[in-house]
Amino acid sequence: MKAWAQKRGIPYFLLLPGLAWLTIFFVLPMIFMFTVSLYEGSLDTTYEFTWHWANYSDALSQFDTQFVRSFLYAGIATMLCLLIAYPLSYAIAFKAGRWQSVLLLAVIAPFFTTYLIRTYAWQTILSNDGVVVDFFQSIGILNSDQYLLKTPAAVIAGLTYNFLPFMILPIYASLEQMDQRLIEAARDLYSSSRTAFLKVTLPISAPGVFAGVLLTFIPAVGDYVNASFLGSSQQAMIGNVIQGAFLRTKDYQIASALSFILMAMIVVAVFVYIRFAGSESLMGDEEATT
Amino acid sequence: MGSRTSKRLITALAMLVASLALAACSDLGAGGLDGPVQTAQANGKATGDITISNWPAYIDKNTVPEFEEESGLSVEYIEDVNDNNEIFSKLQPTLANGDPAGRSMVVVTDWMAKKMYDLGYLQNFDKNAIPEVNKNMLPSLQHPSFDPERQFSAPWQSGMTGLVVNTAEAPDVKSINDLFDPQYHGRVTVLSEMRDTVPLVMKASGIEDPSKAPAEDWLAAIDKLSGAIESGQIVGVVGNSYINDMARGDVVAAIGWSGDAVQLQADNPDIQFVMPEQGCIIWSDNMVIPVGAPNPEAAYAFMNYVYTPQNQAQIAIYNNYTTPVTGVKPILEKTDPELAKSQLIFPSEKYQENCSPQPDPPKLQTAEIERAFEALQTGG
Amino acid sequence: MQWLRRNGVMIFGALVIAYMLIPIAVIALFSFNDPEGKFNFTWNGFTLDHWGSAFSIPDLNDALLTSIELAALTTIIATILGTMIAMALVRHQFHGRKAANLLIVIPMTSPEVVIGAALLSMFVYAQVTTGFVTLLIAHVMFCISFVVVVVRSRLIGFDRRLEEAARDLGADGWTTLRTVTLPLLAPGLVAAGMLAFALSLDDFVISNFNSGTTVTFPLYIFGAAQRGIPVEVNVLATMIFGLTVLAMIATLVQQTRAEKLASVRPDDDADAGFGGVPASRTAAGTT
Repeated sequence: MKAWAQKRGIPYFLLLPGLAWLTIFFVLPMIFMFTVSLYEGSLDTTYEFTWHWANYSDALSQFDTQFVRSFLYAGIATMLCLLIAYPLSYAIAFKAGRWQSVLLLAVIAPFFTTYLIRTYAWQTILSNDGVVVDFFQSIGILNSDQYLLKTPAAVIAGLTYNFLPFMILPIYASLEQMDQRLIEAARDLYSSSRTAFLKVTLPISAPGVFAGVLLTFIPAVGDYVNASFLGSSQQAMIGNVIQGAFLRTKDYQIASALSFILMAMIVVAVFVYIRFAGSESLMGDEEATT
Repeated sequence: MGSRTSKRLITALAMLVASLALAACSDLGAGGLDGPVQTAQANGKATGDITISNWPAYIDKNTVPEFEEESGLSVEYIEDVNDNNEIFSKLQPTLANGDPAGRSMVVVTDWMAKKMYDLGYLQNFDKNAIPEVNKNMLPSLQHPSFDPERQFSAPWQSGMTGLVVNTAEAPDVKSINDLFDPQYHGRVTVLSEMRDTVPLVMKASGIEDPSKAPAEDWLAAIDKLSGAIESGQIVGVVGNSYINDMARGDVVAAIGWSGDAVQLQADNPDIQFVMPEQGCIIWSDNMVIPVGAPNPEAAYAFMNYVYTPQNQAQIAIYNNYTTPVTGVKPILEKTDPELAKSQLIFPSEKYQENCSPQPDPPKLQTAEIERAFEALQTGG
Repeated sequence: MQWLRRNGVMIFGALVIAYMLIPIAVIALFSFNDPEGKFNFTWNGFTLDHWGSAFSIPDLNDALLTSIELAALTTIIATILGTMIAMALVRHQFHGRKAANLLIVIPMTSPEVVIGAALLSMFVYAQVTTGFVTLLIAHVMFCISFVVVVVRSRLIGFDRRLEEAARDLGADGWTTLRTVTLPLLAPGLVAAGMLAFALSLDDFVISNFNSGTTVTFPLYIFGAAQRGIPVEVNVLATMIFGLTVLAMIATLVQQTRAEKLASVRPDDDADAGFGGVPASRTAAGTT
């Protein structure tokens, strides 16, 4: 009896510390932020909890531009990441041979310099007096008084660059697992390499693509570093607004309402995905083998 | 939706309601501190260590080590004040509990010193402990309106907000209105310090004394800035980082601080501080002692040290801001005669004739004005 | 044309990798710059001075040390907690599997600004002073999920029969864990640990909200970026990059060597299994 109880108890014992940490320091803060978003008042006039739902409508109406902008920039960056990452992942998975590990290293290694320094480096690279702007001006893409920094293009380029590995690695992982013999089989059945790709490879890599899209889009929507370094206030994203409200104007209620609205939009997206593919497959979970 | 799911949903909802109920019973952390303002009594000689928070690039690299040697104190000098609001946000939650997060001295601009004092976050000075300060403070700085007896603040440096211009690229910028000139489209920034930027724009619109201006004038100036930002004329409402943009050449004219221009000259000799036609804004950054400061004696020792003319001269040479200490000019006349003539360090009355002290917006509409200004920073 | 079609993907891949390395190259390049004033934007002359004085800025060193300390602690705690969760998920049955999965996935998919802000609001509400401890709490929190994912994938391919074999030979649960399970799991644990370390070292957004007055390396850079990043920062960043690349190469070399050694065994007919043991050995089968 005791042995049975011990055995049944083990998983809960294993789960408890980690899940407790996540509950206390993730779930609970979310709940607190939700309560903060319903407060009224300010530092000078003292705060009062009054179920002040107006904070949400105020937040949405005041910052709708930034919400739209964030989703737009993140969306474009994600698409660009996908277009760039897929061929690269394909190359690494199928065409790299013994260079595979080296290439993976080359993909991951840049991200061992701090995020901020990488983005700061782009500031130097895209500067008005820099080679990139000179080049684009000389070939006519830019007029002589147009620049790259402090434009949406720079911010989107920064987002794309910084989130590329999040797209590359999941796609690579799902492609790498693919059994090459399926392609051979398709070829044996007289399909062209293009059809083989479209009908075999692409669908099999779908989970990787899906994961990559989520892992790229979600952090990108909330990012504020790229907009801060590479954009002007006209490119401010919702992350900048939230950061400013929390750390500059201490408008905690509006900031919390904004965070929650953003979070809600994203949770909806995640739930849709889980519905579609099951949380098991997002985790790649398998049944316990005991 | 099965019964299991609905059971889960109900549990979740119950938890939510419970925590909300809990929240309703308490407040969102204390606001101001109540009770009378303490005086930070000095008890004997200063020993031990001290943590000081100051703005970046405000001190030469020798002063702190020399102070440590002379006093035997150990100083942790942190340059984390990038913006008055930001440092306030950082410190406020703990200051509300009477805890200054280790700091015995912080340097903030006049209006923030007043705000913190009104909230009960600062202590009064023990005037007996700071003889050098009492003796050597510039007369014009001794009775500011926000602290008439200098009970809780002592200027670290004074400064002027005006135009910082790359005279090679933008030779004709002489007034704030020139910042709106289309030929500089996309290469202009203004400061995120509202009490610098908005009054300057107001002065350029003909309002001579911003401190008496009604809220409508502030909001109108913010509106004008908003239009310029939307059109892309002004590409940033920034803190210290404008000097980065100027050094890179991405910005050619900005609202900026007097001492910065000199520091930029090492990288680009064409960058200069230009006194706007309509005048500048004058402010001071002040040393204050927060409530609960661990080592006020050490803070007083530091204040006495930097108010001694020889030591102050060293600082003045480095940062080129207006020195609040008398007796520095004679010293510089011997060692650095060029600098002794600097209008930035020793501004003459004539130089500053159109300048105004940094104003506060009308009290009742402050929140509204601050919100409108913040919206500029996020392009809303 | 044929050549292009066949190698187009490879060329594209090479270009992408070059693109990814451009900022790194710029950072490294400018670490050798000798700027006139405070700003490191235009090339002024080659010098090794800053490499020599890489550790001469006390604030920078403090920030770097703080970050390393924080990352090390985070790695240890997060790896332990995450591994435990992974083991429970893969090897046991229990109620609430779906909820556990959800709880682990959602932090990975939340924007950092929301996590950071939420934690801050809770700390403000509870009147907790933000500082090193709150940073540690935050870092462990967002690392756990990643550790779980990495270790879990390693556990799934794990050959349980090795553990059965150990038990058949008389080892108890604890000894089996110590001498069989954990060593075989080690590469996964190392990978998870490295990931946690990197995530913690590089974190900016969440730290920005919850650091109080503690300064980590990324926070130092953010502050310095306002007024001109000293060249020493470039030097340190290049050093970190170089060190991690070397570490990864070393791991790779070691892995290749281990695989080579394993494949030299006489009765090998398949490639080394997940645990580094030739497949034929386990195929011989016990009960």
